[in-house]
Amino acid sequence: MNLKRFAIVALSLGLLVATSNTLDSTISRQKFSMSYPSVVCSPTQSGLSSQVSLGSRKTKINRIGSTSTKFFNSRVLRLPVPKDPILVDAQGITPIIWQSRAGSWAGGTICSNPATSQWFVGGAADITARGKLLLVNSGLSESIADVFVWSSTSPAVSKAVSVKANSFESLGLDSLAPGESSIVIRVLTRAGRLNSFLVDERGKGLRTLGGDLVSPGVPPSKEIFIPAIPLQPRVRNAPAQQLRLLAPGDADANVSVEVVSGDGRFTPVGLDAITVKKGQVMNFPLSPSVSSSIYGIRINSDEPIVAGVFANVKRDFVWSSSVPALTPFTIAMTGMTSLLVFMGDDIKVDLEISVAGGKKVRKTIQGSDIAVWRIPANARNLSFVRVSPNTYASALQASTNGFGSVPLVAGSVLTKSAIPTANIRVLNP
Amino acid sequence: MALKAAEDLRHVTAILVVHDGALWLPEVVASLTSQKRSADQILAVDTGSTDSSAALLKGAKIPTLSLDRESGFGDAIWAAIQTLPAPTSPENEWLWILHDDCAMHPDALKKLLEALEEKPQAIMAGPKLLGWHDKSHLLEVGVSIASDGARWTGLEPHEYDQGQHDGVHDVLAVSTAGALVRRDVFVELGGFDPNLSLFRDDVDFGWRARVAGHSVIAVSEAKGFHAQAAASERRSADVKEAFLHRPLLLDRRNAAYVLLVNSTWWMLPWVVLQLLGSATARAIGYLLAKLPGYASDELLALATLVIHPRELASARKFRKSHRLLSARVVKGFIPHRRHQIRAGIERLFDSIRSTLLPSVSETNTVLDPLNEDEDLLTPSTTGRWWTIFKQPKALAGFAILILIVIWSRQRYGSLVGGALVQTPEGARDLWSMYFESWHQIGMGTDQGAPTWLAIIALGSTIFFGKADLFISFLFFFAPLFFMLASFRLFSKLTSHNWLRVTASFLYAISPVAIASINSGRIGTVFTLILLPYIGLLIRDWLTIENTSWRKVFLISLVLSLSYMFSMQVFVYVFIATLVVTILDFLKYGNIRFFHDRLLRRLTLVFAPLLVSTPWSFSTLLNPKNLFLEPGLSIAGGGPNFALISNPGGSGALPWWSVSPISLILLVGLFSSTKARVVSYFGCGAIAVAVLIGSLSISGHGNSSPVRTWTGSFIAIATICSVAAGILILDRLREVLVVTNFHYRHILAGLLVVVTTLYSLSTISWLVTAGADSPLRTTDSRVLPAFLGVEGAAKTIVLRQVKSDGINSLQYFLARGHDALLGEPDIAPPESSAISKAIKEIADGSGISASQVLGQHGIKYVFAKSPTDKDVVRTIDGLGGFIRSSATNAGIVWKVNGALSRINFIDSTGKVSEIPSTTVGTRTQINSPGTILLTDSYSRSWKVFQNGFSLERSKDANGFPQFKVTEPGEISLLHDGTARRGLLSLQFIFLATLIILAAPAGRKRREMSESELT
Repeated sequence: MNLKRFAIVALSLGLLVATSNTLDSTISRQKFSMSYPSVVCSPTQSGLSSQVSLGSRKTKINRIGSTSTKFFNSRVLRLPVPKDPILVDAQGITPIIWQSRAGSWAGGTICSNPATSQWFVGGAADITARGKLLLVNSGLSESIADVFVWSSTSPAVSKAVSVKANSFESLGLDSLAPGESSIVIRVLTRAGRLNSFLVDERGKGLRTLGGDLVSPGVPPSKEIFIPAIPLQPRVRNAPAQQLRLLAPGDADANVSVEVVSGDGRFTPVGLDAITVKKGQVMNFPLSPSVSSSIYGIRINSDEPIVAGVFANVKRDFVWSSSVPALTPFTIAMTGMTSLLVFMGDDIKVDLEISVAGGKKVRKTIQGSDIAVWRIPANARNLSFVRVSPNTYASALQASTNGFGSVPLVAGSVLTKSAIPTANIRVLNP
Repeated sequence: MALKAAEDLRHVTAILVVHDGALWLPEVVASLTSQKRSADQILAVDTGSTDSSAALLKGAKIPTLSLDRESGFGDAIWAAIQTLPAPTSPENEWLWILHDDCAMHPDALKKLLEALEEKPQAIMAGPKLLGWHDKSHLLEVGVSIASDGARWTGLEPHEYDQGQHDGVHDVLAVSTAGALVRRDVFVELGGFDPNLSLFRDDVDFGWRARVAGHSVIAVSEAKGFHAQAAASERRSADVKEAFLHRPLLLDRRNAAYVLLVNSTWWMLPWVVLQLLGSATARAIGYLLAKLPGYASDELLALATLVIHPRELASARKFRKSHRLLSARVVKGFIPHRRHQIRAGIERLFDSIRSTLLPSVSETNTVLDPLNEDEDLLTPSTTGRWWTIFKQPKALAGFAILILIVIWSRQRYGSLVGGALVQTPEGARDLWSMYFESWHQIGMGTDQGAPTWLAIIALGSTIFFGKADLFISFLFFFAPLFFMLASFRLFSKLTSHNWLRVTASFLYAISPVAIASINSGRIGTVFTLILLPYIGLLIRDWLTIENTSWRKVFLISLVLSLSYMFSMQVFVYVFIATLVVTILDFLKYGNIRFFHDRLLRRLTLVFAPLLVSTPWSFSTLLNPKNLFLEPGLSIAGGGPNFALISNPGGSGALPWWSVSPISLILLVGLFSSTKARVVSYFGCGAIAVAVLIGSLSISGHGNSSPVRTWTGSFIAIATICSVAAGILILDRLREVLVVTNFHYRHILAGLLVVVTTLYSLSTISWLVTAGADSPLRTTDSRVLPAFLGVEGAAKTIVLRQVKSDGINSLQYFLARGHDALLGEPDIAPPESSAISKAIKEIADGSGISASQVLGQHGIKYVFAKSPTDKDVVRTIDGLGGFIRSSATNAGIVWKVNGALSRINFIDSTGKVSEIPSTTVGTRTQINSPGTILLTDSYSRSWKVFQNGFSLERSKDANGFPQFKVTEPGEISLLHDGTARRGLLSLQFIFLATLIILAAPAGRKRREMSESELT
């Protein structure tokens, strides 16, 4: 009798433990949300025209400066932006804004989410300068930013700028560092949701000297990659192709530059041991003897530096910015026939291109040092599905008005964050 | 000699009024005839006796006048006087009024006459009345009337006559039993009032005699032995006015009548109020004692007077015509109110004392002859103080107190932490929270406060309104309460002193007791205190058909308290009832015996739910709340902890301190004693605890699920385990000694070892790491003081919380203060819009988050230190949030363009703030527009303007809004009628259950004569 009871008790106990532990382990107590923050596209200055390439016609947009915070469907894949900047709920498909002045210049950059710090290597503030620094506040409260400007002759200056909620401010480059022909700008956001755009436009009297949208580069680092630099044809009386460097730290930087092209890798004479003085913007002529029309550079330094390359292409000029390593992401390419330039030791990138009509084309780019591929004209979205490590990429785009360089960087990355939970316990010490 | 001559001049006529008094009459007649100074004439008046009274009178050869049965006492006396010859010497003509239930001492008449001789102004003298059976029981030495109409003798209940009131005293009146009254004055004053056919006619006559300038005396040397047959309901009241034959009704009616007709006119309102108040109070008392007849007597008595105002008017007019002195002359005889109150309090305390400490019949002292010599020879022994430690109970009590002092060293002051939130300062705050229909918690809620809050408020009221003191006291001394409560139960299970003391000590330091105290689980603490009492009452649950209904209701009352604090007890009782009922049905079938059991058991399940209404029913409608206990939703330890009878969670004993509770329950299952039955219940509780403990439930202001705390289930298992252990061990030692070595010896040894190890490890842990528990005294607050300045301004509080080893961002909407007691229980779920906005703030995608928060009237966002730098950067960068301050406490952002709690939007769309009180407002509106309230929508929100209710609708965010069509004063309020109605219902259920559970009072006719006297 006792044995039978013992068996029943043991069996019940076993069942109880098994059931309860199974129940206990099936419950997840932490939930996560994944989202792409909205991105901001640059405003359009007077006399310019802008088009934004979007991922779909249902991409939600909102005009910054409007009283409503509601988002509306774009209805088009290439959206003209008359004046005000726009906020795009791009859902992971990074839009590209392409700006141009008819018959003068063109340039492009990606639309990105607000950043706390942005570095622009490019621009001039001398007599030829007509460029602007555009600060866009897409938030609902005032934004405050410190604008730091380094130049080749003067010590760095800073200026605090406040931007009203849901609006943008335009600062002339000539007012930031008057008379300086070579500048580097850093915009440090103190408060608010702020995006910065740099338009480098130059002219001499009534003659335009070209212009470009300078894309923000990577923050100061000891190794920098600039993958897509158009080889500047030798044009008489035109400014030489230049490498602009700045060591913003407290020490001079010893820099060496390696050119990567279809001809291989090499360090041009005179660029193997450059000394970049601290806090001083320095320009170095860059005219490598390569057979290909496009090349990239890799810069090594013993101190963190920032870098950009200026190249004259016909009537226009292009600023090639440094880029971080390429990661899988999608970029909207409607209306673009860009030349993609990849740089790396062992390049292997799987692409997926959605073309007009909804068809998807897969493509694998392989190579070493540098690889180039032009996307088809009917491309809509370009997805980097798989990317080999330490691969850097930018796009070069030519149009009737001019040339531009677009860094292949995600405008907003998928943010995974634990969903905050409501718990009155937070009100208990 | 002169005195003797004077006596001789007096003519005394004894008038004996008889009404069904055959029981006492022989003795009365004997006493009458044996008087040392005999009456000159004896006349009996029989008012229609139906017993052998008339025959007895005839046998005694007493001339008898017969009247009809409805004749009152006054009528009988008056009729007797009419038959007497006209007085020759009026001042010497005396009437000796006698009752058929009052035997006089042989000296009575003589002593009365002697006293009257000494006081010639006295026209009436009464004897000292003693009990009929207990001749030392002092009934009256003169009588008066209290301001509430009560008969006032100035004596204590059951006062022993030791001659303490002896002498001749001026009194307001004397009882008519044995009263000697001068015939001429009696006739002149109109005799006894015919409206007072029985009861209070004596007081009324004395009052009238006093204001007519006469004196009344009580003579203690004259004694009478009164059976008080009418007052003690030994015979029916058949007089004309007693139309319902209810003595109490007549007594109360006459008492009120005497006061109303004799009091001065300007005192009348006050007298009426007192009569009404005292009648109501007594009626309630009788209802509680389940004597509804007496209760109705109290109220009907007044009603019968009120419907006859002419009777009162004519009686007052008659008295006015005979009044010679001011009514103030009687003031000295009316007992002072202070004396009345004191007497009332003494009676109450006597009653409580006799209930709680019933007197032990010390038969030995009565029977044993006192040997005074032996007493003197016996050496006196004085106890040494340290001998107290030889008493197990005292020793254990002392030990637990020392343990408490060390263990709770962080708890000397207001407590907060764990599941316990901040306690409001005063009981008033708790009461108002309980009664209010709207609570400013989160976005506001109209959910009723839990019933346990009323119990805490009641306890706080007893603690002079100091709610935090009550809570601190409760948690500090909780182990002692556990021990004392369980000791009472265990004393019923064993007579072994050390065993029951050790068991109660183990109960006090059981894992569930420790965890519930350390983690501030007020529900489980109360459950642990109540369970032993429930166990005491519910011991016969399996054969409950033999339990009286009164006891069933008493258990229901105690269970109600338990349900209020933990619905887990309800779940357990429900499951146990279900299982046992099914087993009973299978065993006995559908017979009456089964029905009796089922009915009583169902009463235990559902009656407490009614008492805890409306809270209990709102919990039943949301079944997951059945498993949530008061306070914050803090995770328990899960199923494996529950298996070792440890609820786990923060503040709980570590796993390695394994208690013997589960082991005892397992051993008990194989026991052949009653311990097995107890173990079944304990194992059932453990099984439920393990299963429920594996579930994760959200609630009580926590949107994410946490492991259920199963404290109450484990508390049930613990009490069952300890009880089973006692039953096993009680006689085990004797059994083990006489039997050969077998598994019982091993089990007993194992049990002792595990228990000892547990006790040692637990005590060591308690005095070291256990003292560093979540529940502690602290002055720290979450919300900075400046955020509380704006009243109930809404502030989103963000906080990094580490739970289960994971850091997560949590938030809640504060209304100017930290969470207060009771608030987590009724905290509403956060609105989806706010949740989305906070989510977007956290992931940086919330461009319009500030706008959403602003539309919800949220003015501030506060990130409590230590802050998450990413979140802070995100908020700084989002826009719409303006950083206001950054201190050690945290960072505060002001939300741009936030609405106020109450807003007025005019026709142009301009928004202006309307200042609000705690809940509503009253203000002037100067133009048509809309009133928008940024609190949750409730149908009870109302705005009144010019006596009309404005139309209510929902705005785009679901907030209540009201359209104002014309300027004028408006008043916004939350209508609490429904809440008040439900609370009234609860009060009715509670009162009914208390009445049903209270011991029933007995009617006087049900008491023995010895009890009455």
